[in-house]
Parts: sequence; structure tokens; C-alpha cells
Amino acid sequence: MEPVLKVQGLKKNYGKLEALRGIDFELNPGEIFALIGPNGAGKTTTLRIIATLLSPSDGNVSVFGFDLKKDADRIREKISYLPEEAGAYRQMKGISYLKFTANFYARTNEEAGEYVKRAAEIAGLGLRLNEKVGTYSKGMIRKLLLGRALMTRPALAILDEPTSGLDVINSLEVREIIRNYTKEGVSVLLSSHNMLEIEFLSDRVALVDHGRILDMGTCPELKEKYQAPNLEVVFRSAVR
Amino acid sequence: MKKFTNLLLKEIRELINKQLIISLVVMVLLFTMMGEMAKSEAKKAAATQKISVLDLDLSELSGNLIGQLGQMNFKIDRMENTDTETALGQARLGDSTLLVVIPAGFGESVGRLEKTEIQTYSFLRSFSLGNLRKTEVVKALISAVNNYISNDFLKRNLPDFEPENLKNPIKTREFVIVKEKTAEGSAAAISGFVYSQSIFVPLILMMIIIYSSQMVISAIAMEKQDKTLETLLTVPVKRTTIVSSKMLAAGLVGLLSALIYMIGFNFYMGGMMGDMNQAAAGAQLPKVIQELGLVLNTKGYAILGISLFLAILCALAMATVLGVLAEDFRSAQSLILPIMLLVMIPWFISFFGDVNTLSLPVKIFVLLIPFSHPFLASQNIMLKNYPAVLYGIIYMSVVFVALVVLAARIFSTDRVLTMKLRFGKKKAVF
Repeated sequence: MEPVLKVQGLKKNYGKLEALRGIDFELNPGEIFALIGPNGAGKTTTLRIIATLLSPSDGNVSVFGFDLKKDADRIREKISYLPEEAGAYRQMKGISYLKFTANFYARTNEEAGEYVKRAAEIAGLGLRLNEKVGTYSKGMIRKLLLGRALMTRPALAILDEPTSGLDVINSLEVREIIRNYTKEGVSVLLSSHNMLEIEFLSDRVALVDHGRILDMGTCPELKEKYQAPNLEVVFRSAVR
Repeated sequence: MKKFTNLLLKEIRELINKQLIISLVVMVLLFTMMGEMAKSEAKKAAATQKISVLDLDLSELSGNLIGQLGQMNFKIDRMENTDTETALGQARLGDSTLLVVIPAGFGESVGRLEKTEIQTYSFLRSFSLGNLRKTEVVKALISAVNNYISNDFLKRNLPDFEPENLKNPIKTREFVIVKEKTAEGSAAAISGFVYSQSIFVPLILMMIIIYSSQMVISAIAMEKQDKTLETLLTVPVKRTTIVSSKMLAAGLVGLLSALIYMIGFNFYMGGMMGDMNQAAAGAQLPKVIQELGLVLNTKGYAILGISLFLAILCALAMATVLGVLAEDFRSAQSLILPIMLLVMIPWFISFFGDVNTLSLPVKIFVLLIPFSHPFLASQNIMLKNYPAVLYGIIYMSVVFVALVVLAARIFSTDRVLTMKLRFGKKKAVF
């Protein structure tokens, strides 16, 4: 099966700073692939490049066979990106925000309506969707944004810290939602600091540090390789 | 087109918020109120002025003089059997604008053709516009007195001659030439009238440019501050569509705001200058201006409209580029400064001077500012100096295209997220 995403020798420089020093990995259809690593390791930069926000300094990225440098517009039709610190328009009602986003993807009003309905189900905000986003808590905004990100059943969902700001119950719900969506063929590329979350969600994991991937594999494979009881210990051993 | 409309409506909804509506309504009400106050003050000032007169001479001449003043829009309050000090005390307590004291021996001195004096005491009860106009009554009064005395003397000694012809034997007829057209009228009056009629064009333009530019910069800054820009940039819509929808929305809302502002301003100016325009109309000045071709016809309005529109587009494109530099809403406030300066320079020059009289380097500098051209356009169109207007339009088109290309390129690269202008802070890489 053709991989959904191919990343080869990806480099990114901000002036003299080398944020990414050559990243290579592939993502298969229906797979959840996670990038884990400390702050500044290069996880978010990698996700932002794949989400067409940043241009790579070197290397190749292809999404569904489309080259990132040449076909960014085509790639945007296939992906959905949830940034770590994303917000929604404060003056808009939650439902209006979902309609606004749905209109970019839907070809008809009916299709847009379907997307909004699905997003409302994912967000689980009920009647609060009729209130302005400015009145929402951080957790409510996160759920709204997750609904927005998954409402179109994107072929590739790029989720940066998807449960950031959510309480335990909401985090569990969100993880379930993400898990269920991969069953419908959605591929997910995510990053998280929460190792429990990574272990629960991910099919494969890449350990990222100083702009490089140190190791890659399924959680059981990595734990066995490093003789570690959990991913945190795996990461510490890999860094040493 | 559907995606563009979706973005445009979102931008317009964000721009037309409660704060904007309230500020516009308050502004219109304030202007209307100020205009009404000015109108009522002007009416009061134009009404019959009450003056007190103390005649210490009691001659035939002084009696005739007071009678003459009574026929000249002055309401006379005669003070009798008193001295100057007491008369001053009484007049001070009343509502007279002025106390006129005709000294004893006034009639005799005038009869001997000796220079004589009349004392006037003005009561300055406030410094309002209306009161300032009231003080002009002294000038009118002295002029009326002098006129009366000299006419009276001439009539008595030279009864066969018209006093006016003797006093002003030369009559001037003024003609004004504009290009190949000639009309009878005063150059100063025509210049003043045309100036007062065209003063609104630069003002409207300045308002629209500043309003709209501020909106574009703030809109981009708010997207950054609220962390919505990253998400917006990953939806399947062209970056040029995002840029142009922001520009168009700000342009439309800016135009609407400026229009409402000008309606309010018109109420205000109507109150302030209403009587002035009536006087001008009475003097048939507009007819002379028509004869000289100093009016904007349909073609003129169309050219002026194109010039104004291009200036607004240039400002919006410039604001888009500047907006990218904003880190948050606060920093966006200071980024409007470059645009404000570029608008203020030609505005001041068009208001107080003439660009053609500037030295060559300064003139080149002024003409390099795209916003200078619409400021100069209305006068150039009236003077049928079309090539100058056309060059301005071409120049602004080039500047606009260059700025849009620059804005689109910035939005198509990661600079839209990484470019930041920080004031007083160390520049960060991420």
C-alpha cells in the first residue's frame, strides 16, 4: 500500500539555527504516527511543514503523492491541521465558526451541513455552540477545534498536542474519537508530551531530539529494545 | 468565488462590531449637536444688535446720527441725563453689546472739519464664536458714522454731485481667466469658494485611508493574537484570496465609516458655514465658477473617483504588508504610523500650500508618495490638467500591483508567521 506521507531528509533552518537536521519517516493509511520529544526538539516544526505552513529548507515531503513545494493547494484539500495553541474567532458563535470552516471543504450546502453536524457531535458542546467563542473555556475551544479538524474526515489529520488544555474525562473522550476515526481510514500524525496518550493512541512512534529522529517503532518494540517499562524511560535511554 | 465570499463575509462581520457602530453613531450625534449649536450662535450674532448710546452733545448732527444707526440693524438704547461712568454701569448690567459715547461739542467739531472722537465701550461677555462676531459691530458702527458724516458734508456743500462718486471716483471691474475662459468676478472670492468646496475631498480620503488601513492591520494582528491565522492558512483556499478578502472588507467598511463620518461632518459644517454659502450664492459666485469651468463634470468625477480608489487600494496593500509585521493587536496600533505620515504630508501640503511651488527634490519626494496624487487630482481636474492626473493614476496602479505582489508573496511563504516587528524587545527566531 502507498504511504500517505513520505518525509525524506527534511531540514529547516531559522537563520543560523538548525531546527530540523534531516527527518525521515513514512505514514501508512489508517495509521496513527506520533512524534515525541522535549520542547524545541522539532516536532511542531515538522508538523507545520507538513501542514503547508512552513517551507522546508531542504528535503522532500510528499502527501498522497503531491509534492509539498509544488502542490501545497492540493495537499490542503486532503489534510486538516490542529495547532497546539490554536484559537477560534471570538466574535463568532461556535456553530458559525464550524459553518465558516465547512464552507471551504464542502461542494454543496448539504455537504457543509453534514460536516457541521459531525463537528457538533465530535465537539459535544450541545447548546453552547449557539454562544460566542469568546465565552468558551480553553477546553471547550479545544473540543470545538477538534470537531473542526475531523469534521471532513480528512485523509490525513495533523494534530499537535490534541488534548492540550483538556481535563482527564475530556482527554479520554478525545482519544476515543481519534481512535475511532482511524477505523474509518483517517491517518493521523500527532505530537504529544503525554506518554500515556501516545501509548494509547499510536501505532508507531518516532523519538525526536535536536531536529533528528533518534529511533522509531511501535511502543512494544521500543520498550523491548530499550528494556524499559514505559515510553518515558525509552526516551531517556534513547537520548543517552 | 464561494470561498472568497465566505471569507469576505467573515471579515465584514468581524469589522462591523458593536464598538464601531456605537462610535459612529456617537460621532454623528456629536457633530450634529455641534453644528446646531454653531448655527444657533451664528443666528444670534446675525440678529439685530442692541447698542447703548449716551449723547452728551445733543446737537442736530448727533441726533441725526443716532437716527441713522437705528435704521442700520442696530437697536438703540438711548441713555439720557447721565454721565459716562453711570451710563457704563447701567449698560454693563443690561444686554447691550456696546456703549457709544458722543462727546459734547461733537457737532461743532465736525462742522469745523476738525478730527473728533466718539468713544465706544465693547462688553466682552464670553469668547464664543457668536460673541466674536458681535465685536465686529464696532467696525461696522464707525464705518457707518464716518460714511454718514462725510456724505452729509458733501451733500450740503456739493449738492450737484453724488457723494459716493466723489469719495470713490474709480470703480474696478475684476475679471478672472482660467485657461481660455474669462469671467467677471473676484479672484480671491473664486479661489476661496473653490477651496471651500474642494476641502472635503482630501478630508474624506484621509479618513478612509486611515480607517481602512487600521482595520487591515488590526485584522491580521488579531488573527495572530487569537491564533486563528495558522488554521486559516491550512484550509484549501488560495493565499491571494485570503489577502484580497481582508483588503476588500476593510475597504468597504472604511468607505462606509468615512461616509457616515462625512454625513456628521456635513451637519457640523452646515451649521458653521451655512450662512457663508448663502452669501456666496447670493453673489452669484457659483455662476461665475460655472462660466470658468471650475466644476467637476461626470468625466471629472469619474477620473477623481479612480484616483481616490487607487489611493485606497495602495493604502490597503501597504497595510497588509505592515499587518504581517504585527505580533499582536497592541503592536498593530503603532504600525499604522508610516501610513498616517504618508497621508499627512500631502494633506498638509494640499491644505496650506501648492506642490508646484516646492523645490524640485521636495516635489519629487511628495510625488513619490502615492497618496499625494488624489490630493492634487481635484484641482488638476478643475484646471483641466488631465496629463498630471493620468500620470498619478498610472503611478498608483504600478505601486498597487507591486504591493499586492509583495503581500501575496509574503502570505505564500512562512514569513507570514515568522516576520515580526518588536518594539523594545529582543528579536526572537521562533
